[in-house]
Amino acid sequence: MNTVAEAASIDAHGDSLWLKALHKFRRDRVGMWSLGVVSAYALVALGVVLGWWANDWAAVTGPKWAPMSAQYWFGTNIIGQDIFARALYGTRTAFEVGLIVALGATLLGAVLGAVAGFFSGTFIDEMVIWIMGVLDSVPFILLVAAIAYSLQGSPWAMHVAMIATFWITTARLVRGEVIKLKGLEFVEAARAIGVSKPLIIFRHILPNTLHILLVQATISFVAAIKSEVILSFLGLGVKEGMSWGLMISESTFEVLAGFFNNFIAASILMFGLVMAFNLFSDALQDALDPRTVSRP
Amino acid sequence: MDILQYSIRKLIAGIPLILGVTLVSFLLIVYFGPDQTYSLLGKNPTAAEIAELRSQLGYDQPFVTRYLQYLREIVTLDFGSSQANDEKVSSILARTIPVSLALSLPGFVLGNLLGVALALVAAYNRGRWLDKFIMGFAAVGMSISFLIVIIGFQILLSSSDGLDLFPVRGWDTSTPLQYLRYVTVPTLATVFVALGYNTRFYRAVIVEEMTRDHVRTARAFGIPQSQLFYKNILKNSMIPIVTRVVFSIPLIVISGSLLLESYFGIPGIGYVTYDAIVTGDQPVLKAVVALTAVLFVVAQLLTDICYRIVDPRVSLK
Repeated sequence: MNTVAEAASIDAHGDSLWLKALHKFRRDRVGMWSLGVVSAYALVALGVVLGWWANDWAAVTGPKWAPMSAQYWFGTNIIGQDIFARALYGTRTAFEVGLIVALGATLLGAVLGAVAGFFSGTFIDEMVIWIMGVLDSVPFILLVAAIAYSLQGSPWAMHVAMIATFWITTARLVRGEVIKLKGLEFVEAARAIGVSKPLIIFRHILPNTLHILLVQATISFVAAIKSEVILSFLGLGVKEGMSWGLMISESTFEVLAGFFNNFIAASILMFGLVMAFNLFSDALQDALDPRTVSRP
Repeated sequence: MDILQYSIRKLIAGIPLILGVTLVSFLLIVYFGPDQTYSLLGKNPTAAEIAELRSQLGYDQPFVTRYLQYLREIVTLDFGSSQANDEKVSSILARTIPVSLALSLPGFVLGNLLGVALALVAAYNRGRWLDKFIMGFAAVGMSISFLIVIIGFQILLSSSDGLDLFPVRGWDTSTPLQYLRYVTVPTLATVFVALGYNTRFYRAVIVEEMTRDHVRTARAFGIPQSQLFYKNILKNSMIPIVTRVVFSIPLIVISGSLLLESYFGIPGIGYVTYDAIVTGDQPVLKAVVALTAVLFVVAQLLTDICYRIVDPRVSLK
């Protein structure tokens, strides 16, 4: 409709995609708020890693099912452990799982998607598409179960399974974008002066898909946190330490006995992070989408 | 005979996928899975007994032979017997799949119907407060873990701390009323979670259709809004909607019910699978993984073929 006019206004600004995205994001109030919330969570997680707080998450420090008090902010659980400390430690686990999975899935998706896209129509492309179709066809929980079964209860089974599933969407999007990009002049120019194929793919084409990778990484992060809770409950997830999933799993007995602190603490903390991350992801997507033009 | 040719070509194209999913489940569960020898043998086996069992399990065979043997098991649906109670795996499946369907079908149907309805309302009022309210609700639904929703509904409706209207856990379908009593809480939890994702997805599909030229033309011709939404927008949005519905069928049969059934103690396929995962029951595990994956591929192919029959715009590529 008025795309020509919009395109002209984009050129008139002359800023890079990233600078424009930054401007757009900073004006997005929901996006900025969610970024703030996510950062706060990240700080909590960092504090646990550095030993600032929640060091005694495993220690039995109080009576069974103590109510909320100045000493035990969220009360204590069935054997007298401080729920607040455990919930903080769960934040660290959530970030650990989220970051590992998001990084792994995005890297794998970027590399395989870019290679498949660059060699589209060849045997390599067919192979990648085949692998994606196959992994997509195995229901997620069963893939986790199968991987956990074959890794014999390794604590990494959950991470491996999530990465094995989550890279596919990223790879599909990157592949499509690379097919579009490889026909452009700058790739032709690189090829004309004799730049090698791997260098063209990873130095010249892949950086141009960064906006897709960034959004996909946030989506994988959220999906990993949500999956961790369910997998831990089923006994397929976190094996060492403490997580929100394990807390909720512990709390299923307590809930039936009328004690809700454990359940509520883990649920609310998890809901806050996932909600904020979802909103952040949406705002990021809006900001990086060149089709939605910011009005000055 | 375009359609027949197309169907045959599609089915042939599905073979590599079926080989792929069976290969994945074979590699993970059978080939690289834990050695079954010592869990099956009694105490103090002799060397001869060990060797005999190993050859029975096929451990002395080459890779290809064992994979072909696995494929034969899938085709003949003969997976041997469960290691937990010696019941034949095929009879376990026949017993539990109907239970899972009875459990997940109401939530699945309601979740999708309500999702489309809410998406239509949101798209109809795009940008207004009703749209924002519905999408905010969807964002909340997306952010709460399924597990938390299940426990939450259980507290609210089944426990003595809440309304105490329904049984806490278990399953009984002897009378329709009993069925309703046991199926309500799991269904509400399923619908609540499904609504978040479905509404968001369907709204995006409908809004996309709304901005198409043919809709603008129809509007210019003065077709009333309600008719426009039903005839020009909803009908044209059916392809992505149906795709999503079909693709989520294998997921609701297995993944969705795995959590519900293990939590509520409902004897369906998900509960059996959960048990098999926990106890390492290889015959059950390999049957479930292989069958659902094959089912998924077949569902995918059938949708493709159905599109071709229903919608003339889908190309014959």
